[in-house]
Amino acid sequence: MKPPFSALSSNTYRALALVGLCILMVLVFIADTVTNYAIAAAVFHTPLLLIAIRFLSARLVIALTGISMALTVVSVLLTRSGDYDVGLINTGISLVAIAVTAYLGLKLKSVQAAAHETREHLLRLSRLTTLGQLSTSIAHEVSQPLAAINSSAGACQRWLEASPPNIEKAQAAAQRIVYDAQRAKDVLDRVRSITRNEAPASSAFDLNLALTELLSLSSGEMQHHHIDLRLALQTDLPPVYADRVQIQQVMANLLLNAIEALSPPSSSHAACISIETSFLPGDKPQTGKVLFSIKDNGPGLSGTQLSELFNTFWTTKPTGLGLGLTISRTIIDANNGHIWATHQTDGGAAFHFTLPLAP
Amino acid sequence: MTDNLDSSLTTPTVYIIDDDPSIRAALDDLLASVGVKALSFASTRDFLAHPLSDAPACLVLDVRMPEQSGTDFHAQMASRGLHMPVIFMTGHGDIHMAVKAIKQGAWDFLTKPFIDQALIDAVQSALAADAQRKEQARSRLTLQQRWDSLNPGERDVFVRVVQGLLNKQIAAELNVKEVTVKVRRARVMQKMQAGSLAELVRQFDQLNAETGP
Repeated sequence: MKPPFSALSSNTYRALALVGLCILMVLVFIADTVTNYAIAAAVFHTPLLLIAIRFLSARLVIALTGISMALTVVSVLLTRSGDYDVGLINTGISLVAIAVTAYLGLKLKSVQAAAHETREHLLRLSRLTTLGQLSTSIAHEVSQPLAAINSSAGACQRWLEASPPNIEKAQAAAQRIVYDAQRAKDVLDRVRSITRNEAPASSAFDLNLALTELLSLSSGEMQHHHIDLRLALQTDLPPVYADRVQIQQVMANLLLNAIEALSPPSSSHAACISIETSFLPGDKPQTGKVLFSIKDNGPGLSGTQLSELFNTFWTTKPTGLGLGLTISRTIIDANNGHIWATHQTDGGAAFHFTLPLAP
Repeated sequence: MTDNLDSSLTTPTVYIIDDDPSIRAALDDLLASVGVKALSFASTRDFLAHPLSDAPACLVLDVRMPEQSGTDFHAQMASRGLHMPVIFMTGHGDIHMAVKAIKQGAWDFLTKPFIDQALIDAVQSALAADAQRKEQARSRLTLQQRWDSLNPGERDVFVRVVQGLLNKQIAAELNVKEVTVKVRRARVMQKMQAGSLAELVRQFDQLNAETGP
């Protein structure tokens, strides 16, 4: 029952890769030196650089390229056997190969970074614009009848206060108030019907798989913020019954909240987000649930009422709309689940939701 | 006062431009309830098609409208010869928009839904400001007309009188008889409709403040 725990720290990973590459480079150097001039063992530096480009920063890759080229030249000077002319040509080819590999690799890396940045931007944008547009248009639509009601009410009051009171005018103003109140109600009904129309398209799906898909979208952002992601996904998780896309949106929202809670990074401890999934057995076989939890070791929700978190327009973020968690709760409720937040003992925040099992 | 406009054309008027008929009806009625005359229009085009009187006026302008936005219209007003104060209304006001509107000379900026009294206060102060502006323009015009009615000899006397010269000194400077100065001086007081020397000095300053005599 206990989920397997996989810890993955990007920093230790990078350090290990660097040490491994250095050892391999020394081996290539030795091979290049002990073999005769004609054997161009130095070209084996190129696959090492390709590996380096995958894991290390551009500056480190350039440094390693310089070292590779220097080692190639030194090993030629140390080699004592074989055809010297052929050796010289082979060394030249090796140097060119190393330089070209590093250049193309770095170019690829920058293109990948740009692509990642665009994707990250899109992920954020789609959430923000949807929420932003929604709230702006609701605010505008409701403010019109409210402004009319305010003005009509003021007029009504003044017609009644006049001496003699102008009953006819006051009645007309009151009628307009009724009409505009109905208009405001119509706006709200329309908003409600939009959410009702978006009835969940429920299907059975694997929550772990949906999560992994989402994480592949946001892994770059987490690397960018130097956040360690700890996954504790239960392997034999039964399928849940919900709207897959909606649930992914909720998970993305919670994940982005956690990432935002961890930036700027704390100086005292490494930023870490842990995500767990597990099966919660119920009293009867059909009342079992799947639990999703996401925890961060950020500043947490100190002093805030956990129950208030999900209320509309409540936010801890200076630029937040206070709609993300409200919408998340609406989605989870509509999918017959439950969402809540808890304080973590180490000070961070934790968000959890449950979803029903597929019948 | 030289103008002889009838009272309906001199009543201060609030012009309301909003595409929402409900807002128009409510604002019309609200202003009527405090005795302010209002005329409302569904678009800036309708407003421009309406002849304007010379009475003090102000404009209550919605920012977001289908044909032309309130802010765009405001930017064009000066080039159309419209100088009345503008009170903006918006359903989605933000600080940036408000600052921009005020910088461009807007009188006030109300975010819908606003309190009825806020609009009434804004409208009344805007009308008072426009009345003052119109009054100043009118008195400047009258003064200029009076100045234009003076002949060169009278102007010479006028300038020296307000400089504080005595009739004797003026006569010497202009090389005329003292009695001539006295006559011209009386003509100046009469044509400028000034009751005292102090008033004449004030008129002279006012004329100088603008274009100079």
